[in-house]
Amino acid sequence: MSNQNESLNVSAKTVDEAIEQGLNQLGLTRDEVDVEIINEGKRTLFGLKSGEAIVRLTPKGQTATSPSEADPLPTDEAVSQEPAPSEPDELDSSEPDESAEETLPVEAQVSEEDDPSQIAEIGKEYLGGLLERMGIKATITTRVAPDLVEPDESPPLVLDITGRDLGILIGRRNETLQALQYMVRLMVNKEMGSWQRIVVDVESYRSRRRHSLHQMAKRMAERAVANGERVVLEAMPAYERRLIHIALRDHPAVFTRSIGHDKNRKVTIIPK
Amino acid sequence: MGLLKDLTLEMARAVVNESEQVRVEEVEGASMIVLELSVAPGDMGRIIGKEGRVANAMRTLLRTSAAKDGKRVNLEII
Repeated sequence: MSNQNESLNVSAKTVDEAIEQGLNQLGLTRDEVDVEIINEGKRTLFGLKSGEAIVRLTPKGQTATSPSEADPLPTDEAVSQEPAPSEPDELDSSEPDESAEETLPVEAQVSEEDDPSQIAEIGKEYLGGLLERMGIKATITTRVAPDLVEPDESPPLVLDITGRDLGILIGRRNETLQALQYMVRLMVNKEMGSWQRIVVDVESYRSRRRHSLHQMAKRMAERAVANGERVVLEAMPAYERRLIHIALRDHPAVFTRSIGHDKNRKVTIIPK
Repeated sequence: MGLLKDLTLEMARAVVNESEQVRVEEVEGASMIVLELSVAPGDMGRIIGKEGRVANAMRTLLRTSAAKDGKRVNLEII
């Protein structure tokens, strides 16, 4: 990996400050870099800015952040995920390639011979046991959820947790919910001896999140086209990036790439 | 307390092959709870997981759980 001419992310109170700091660090002038504004910093009611502004500076003439160098694209998950099909995938995206979702691996589907109601019962019991030991009072309902996947994918079994003050179960960047889902999948898979497509949700958070990511993808695509510049989204987990890729796969004027590594991996929307 | 210990046991037992060999010691300090987890040698890989994913998921859930009581938690796999 080359560090020399990699692009640089800088955060500061304002966009201008961030750019200036970045230029100082790079020892370059404004004309010598491409600037992408990743986050403008939040605006409060009175026009005061709070939250950090983040910009990315890429030395011109460099393709440091081009997908080819960042890593060979659509094998997004391959970096961090095992090919072993018997292990539960991190998330809803069960395929190693987040943009090629045409064929769903067999192991990602609820296998025909297993009784879905039995899986639901086992999952519910495990999840209930975990929540109880976490000191959380909640109700678990089960449903099959075609709204959580693309129309051509087999719908997962969802264990939806409902109750009061369950925000802590979602956690920062959805981390807690993912951990909960991961543990439940491990437990159920072990019990059933096969891979089951199970989703753990809190108050239908996933379908709401799915919807808002979809809307955001469209908005950002419009911005990319209007400005003729690529838009870099904030870092997201693999299955959320996948949703963005899918949302824009048929867009006539943009294409998408993921850049960066691991937790810093981001979708870039690029005008065609 | 004891809930965190229970939670650790529950999660660990679900992951390993030799569940009867799972041991958890809980040491509670003023603001920090230390959980010492041990499993059969052959289960070490399972409890840690690929790239530490199992251990990390357990830590996340323990952290969330302890945070409700304003505590920090440290899971050590020994």
